Amino acid sequence: MEPLHLGVLLAGAWAILTLVFLHLNAKAYGKRTLYSKPAGDSVQGVVYAFTKGMAPWAKESVRMNLPSYAAGMVFHAGVFTAFGLLFAAIFGLELPPSLVFLARILTVGGVLGGFSLFGKRIFKPQLRGLSCPDDFVANLLSSLFVLLALTWTFSPALAGVWMSEAILLLVYAPLGKIRHCFFFFTTRYHLGAFFGRRGTFPPRA
Amino acid sequence: MPELDELESRLDALTEADFQQGLEVFRGKLKKAEASYLNSCVHCGLCASSCHYHRMDSTLENIPAHKLELISSVFKRNFTTMGRIAPGLVGAKPFDREMAKAWIDAVFGRCSLCGRCSINCTIGIALPKIFRAARAALGAMGLVPPDLQATVDNSLLHGNNMAVTKQDWVETVQWIEEELQLETGDPGAKLPLDKQGAKFLFTVNPREPKFFPLSLQASAKVFWAAKEDWTLASDGGWDLTNYGLFNCNDEQAGTITKHLVDAMARLGCKTLVIGECGHGYGAARWEGPEWLRKSYPFEVKSILELMDEYVRDGRIQLDPSKNTAPVTLHDPCNLVRHGGICEAQRRVLRKATTNFTEMTPNRVENFCCGGGGGQLAMARYKQRRIQSGGMKAEQIKASGAKVVVAPCHNCIDQLMELNKEYQLNVQIKTVAEMVAEALIPNP
Ligand code: SF4
Ligand code: SF4
Repeated sequence: MEPLHLGVLLAGAWAILTLVFLHLNAKAYGKRTLYSKPAGDSVQGVVYAFTKGMAPWAKESVRMNLPSYAAGMVFHAGVFTAFGLLFAAIFGLELPPSLVFLARILTVGGVLGGFSLFGKRIFKPQLRGLSCPDDFVANLLSSLFVLLALTWTFSPALAGVWMSEAILLLVYAPLGKIRHCFFFFTTRYHLGAFFGRRGTFPPRA
Repeated sequence: MPELDELESRLDALTEADFQQGLEVFRGKLKKAEASYLNSCVHCGLCASSCHYHRMDSTLENIPAHKLELISSVFKRNFTTMGRIAPGLVGAKPFDREMAKAWIDAVFGRCSLCGRCSINCTIGIALPKIFRAARAALGAMGLVPPDLQATVDNSLLHGNNMAVTKQDWVETVQWIEEELQLETGDPGAKLPLDKQGAKFLFTVNPREPKFFPLSLQASAKVFWAAKEDWTLASDGGWDLTNYGLFNCNDEQAGTITKHLVDAMARLGCKTLVIGECGHGYGAARWEGPEWLRKSYPFEVKSILELMDEYVRDGRIQLDPSKNTAPVTLHDPCNLVRHGGICEAQRRVLRKATTNFTEMTPNRVENFCCGGGGGQLAMARYKQRRIQSGGMKAEQIKASGAKVVVAPCHNCIDQLMELNKEYQLNVQIKTVAEMVAEALIPNP
């Protein structure tokens, strides 16, 4: 195996292990024993939180900020696609042209989404005020990763640069806000369970 | 304002031990859900417009995520490895005097704990859970705004938050009973006090005997029409309010909850009925058992659920033509979003009125009136409270209603102020008042 490939895999292992450690750390805070009688079903609340509750029309914050929401969605789609390409590159998988074409579209979207959100963070005073250096680093590392994945589909010679950047991204991921790639799921689970138990989720009207 | 000085001087006098105590209490409030929330914010800022404070005054300080960040920065600094190693990178900050001051401003002064940001958060962070932990920490440091704490102290000392004496309460109940008998023409119409073994123990907001006796009379009239077996407690256990929900001192909140639990045991009632009050319902129904760390041996219901059952089962008959003015409904956050009581009041109002129209948005997406989270008890933030209530005022105006129904006496207080401030020219009523108006006396 090529050293860079090995490096990416090791960085990936680091990311996963550190996220597991962070998860265990959060879990160590313990579970709240609840004594009040439930009015609804927490399982249904969780299902709602991960399905209809995530639909753009279910949240006013999305309805009012559709361009940002769209940018976020294509950015994330681009990141996932780039990871798919990375997997293919490391394990030498031959991708059919149609899939490469789709991957190019998704990564172009990801690049546009990522850098537009980066620009928004720099130029919108309130968003800048909300941000810490980690926000910029995380965005930049992820957006570059998608951009390099896109360029690799045209020029495989760039694999070295792309994989080096991927190593940086994977090493950094659990240290800053990119950890939300894991905590998104636990947080949404807890939100769904809370509002489900109280009979608020799913909305009944 | 002398109170301001009191809080300022307390801030000045804080010692290292106070900060440690605050952090300890904060840490004690966190379970795995909160630990997850504190690891999740991506600073996307999409929650900004969900908050009525930010809608009416779009400063950075009013963005829910900014309020959260003040707290999570301390969490990172004190409880995470990266926060200790690279505080500048991840935005970790020490818990010092300036930060304590910023916490007070954020969690007491710019938040009504309404939870609207939770359902709008991109990730799903239940932000009020974290704000409550911060309020508890500040409480442990003696940094609860004194007038809010005074409301809690009243409940602890006098058994109700307005220090109404037993004599005043009993006399008011008797006077309302006479009024009810006059209104119904039935000398048997009662407001029973301390009726042993009654099915329902009914609890009220002390604002009712103090300022809104007609509201209590309306509830009593509904019980009378439904031929209900109910009672009020003459001593300890008639006040449904619990401002321990807002100072976030679980021990004090539990002691106040115990007034209700003890009254239920003393009178041998089967169900505790919470009158029209958002936070009172939330405190008694949801938080009480958690504060006491045990399940109740009885049921808790909102009077809204009872009225809904009465209408459904035909125990009361309503004539909607008695309420023809355009009516809209305010959704108290602790009753609806955090309480799960959403449709009962709507079903009842549709039967009791001819012209019911929803506010937009409504139900789980409702806007706080601005008076929640203990805001009504904190004089120092009055201007912000009225300003943030502008969002509710806009909703009311847009509804075109002439009557605003609010199943919560705290909300009613705030709405009455908004009515004046924003010249809404509406009447503000409880659901029971609308129902009492529409009641067709039983044959
Ligand atoms: S809980 Fe309500 S008042 Fe507090 S920050 Fe969130 S939306 Fe604003
Ligand atoms: S919407 Fe949620 S994740 Fe985004 S800034 Fe607000 S609290 Fe943070």
